[in-house]
Amino acid sequence: MADLSEADRLAQETWLQRTIRRPEIGSFIVMVVIVVVLTWASSGKAFNALGLKNNVQIIAQYGIIAIGAALLMIAGEFDLSIGSMIGFAGMSMAIMLKWGLPFGLGEATPLTALLITMAMTLTLGWIIGNIVVKSGLSSFIVTLAFLFFMRGVTEVSFRLINQSTQVSGLPDYKEESWVAWVFGGEVFGWFYDAWFWIGMRFVDMGFERTDQWFTLGGNINRRGTQWVEGFDARFLWFILIALAAYFILSRTQLGNWIYATGDNKEAARANGVPTNKVKIGLFMFTAFCATIFAACQVFENNTSDAAKGNLMELFAIAIAVVGGTLMTGGFGSVLGVVFGAITVGLVANAVFFIPAIDGAWFRVFLGAILLAAVFANERIRKRITGGI
Amino acid sequence: MAEPYLRVEKLVKRFGPFTALGGVDLEVYPGEVHALLGDNGAGKSTLIKTLAGVHEPTEGQIYIEGKPVQFRSPRDASAAGIGTVYQDLALNQLMSVTRNFFMGRELKKSFGQLDLDKMNQIAHDEMLKIGIDFSDPTQAVGTMSGGQRQTLAIARAIHFGAKVLILDEPTSALGQKQQMGVLKTIKRVRKRGDIAIIFITHNEIHSRLVGDRFSFLALGKVIGAGTSDEISDKEMRRLMSGGAEMGDLEQELAAI
Repeated sequence: MADLSEADRLAQETWLQRTIRRPEIGSFIVMVVIVVVLTWASSGKAFNALGLKNNVQIIAQYGIIAIGAALLMIAGEFDLSIGSMIGFAGMSMAIMLKWGLPFGLGEATPLTALLITMAMTLTLGWIIGNIVVKSGLSSFIVTLAFLFFMRGVTEVSFRLINQSTQVSGLPDYKEESWVAWVFGGEVFGWFYDAWFWIGMRFVDMGFERTDQWFTLGGNINRRGTQWVEGFDARFLWFILIALAAYFILSRTQLGNWIYATGDNKEAARANGVPTNKVKIGLFMFTAFCATIFAACQVFENNTSDAAKGNLMELFAIAIAVVGGTLMTGGFGSVLGVVFGAITVGLVANAVFFIPAIDGAWFRVFLGAILLAAVFANERIRKRITGGI
Repeated sequence: MAEPYLRVEKLVKRFGPFTALGGVDLEVYPGEVHALLGDNGAGKSTLIKTLAGVHEPTEGQIYIEGKPVQFRSPRDASAAGIGTVYQDLALNQLMSVTRNFFMGRELKKSFGQLDLDKMNQIAHDEMLKIGIDFSDPTQAVGTMSGGQRQTLAIARAIHFGAKVLILDEPTSALGQKQQMGVLKTIKRVRKRGDIAIIFITHNEIHSRLVGDRFSFLALGKVIGAGTSDEISDKEMRRLMSGGAEMGDLEQELAAI
């Protein structure tokens, strides 16, 4: 049969070949290279107790919004309003906590501030999504408009209500509110307890230098005490969002709809996929991720200002692309985006561990791997679609 | 004579002042291939879009198994058993065969989780029934040939309950060998006996190879119809050229 022989032209692959052809492989290799180089160049400081905590902090920050941006990109749309959404959500929560709930509803608690803010940002995401799908305009332009609009609203609200573009000196809500603690507290304390315990066993055996590496993060004055208690809570949020996104995208009907919507919208619609609902839902998801990002910032530091989240939308999109997400939609993986977030986060922080280098090199590096990633992704797309 | 599964009576479709279909009659029987021929602009696309529920007819009536029906959306038509395989096939190239097969109609376990094993199995079996043994249903559609994609789209329409299969120029964008593959697929579907096929083409040879019944459209009207025995090759060529006599055309060409 003629068609039979044609199907056989697709070569059977071994496990190794399949692994190498996975879409995440590029971002994985880059990540491994960065980890090795950074460990070497910082003499291990980047991954001592404090270094790891700091690195994970920025990786989780980037990761939370990059996963939102990546899912939306797979469905074929962009969201440039993520950064302004972070600023807006942070402003909203901080002002409510300082000046009380709107319409004279009394004092705000972390829970009410978060819920009201989340309701507003999800509504904004819903509005953006509806404008994009109903008008058929490019999401690039629509969300660019919201980038300016919401940053402006954030600043104006700060000045009108707070007389200053900054809220600081809020009480530390983590003490009494579990909501604040869930966003601003510390998680996985057992990891550092174990780390410290192992370090002390080395000290017992007489290895003084390992004591420093395991317990101090380089701070000589605090020798012998465990002073890194755990990771920032956003690490847990990053893990939760990544797991949920991975499950939805690769294992559920909704995931199939997201891919179908981004690949060929008309084909998806002809088969009964509610493409508009998928897109609106994902615009709401990026708004959700931005709000989680902002909540972690506000409840960790008990401050907020009008510039929070600036440029974050571009980092989110860059990380999604470095993680193997196609700009044109229809293709991408959550695992790749996680690798991308680790890579970009580590390089963004590298200057703290290698003081000799200029911090601006980070942007040089990001630009370079972004370009390389776009070319690599295009090659993957051509290979899958047979060169069209 | 058995009852036609789908019958169209005096179908008229106007777009503003433009009459795309000017009273079309059509009968489609299970287990038969009804070839719908006509030049570009004859109204073939408007006719199938009306049957598929994309357009609502201005006048006239569609009957399914003798009962009058009205389609307000493609979903209505598909629920009534009309499966349309468009020229672009409504496939997503970057997605796997299985994910395309079940696009929009996924099989779910609890929590909306996909039943991928079962989906792979069904996609493989359904395609095997009409002629392609596809060893790996997880490969992307982009790696398939045009003929294989056509088969995938047809198998999908049949699996989801199509009783009338509308094939919109399935052979037009393919190479010779793949065209034959698609014709074989059409024959296999016909052999099942329970599915009526509307085969749209402007290739008279292809229609002659698989068609049981013919309708010729020109300028929105049926200018000739009949079974394969009733229509001679010469008559077919005359009708294909929109009703003009071949002799006249030859004279016109010679005069230039």
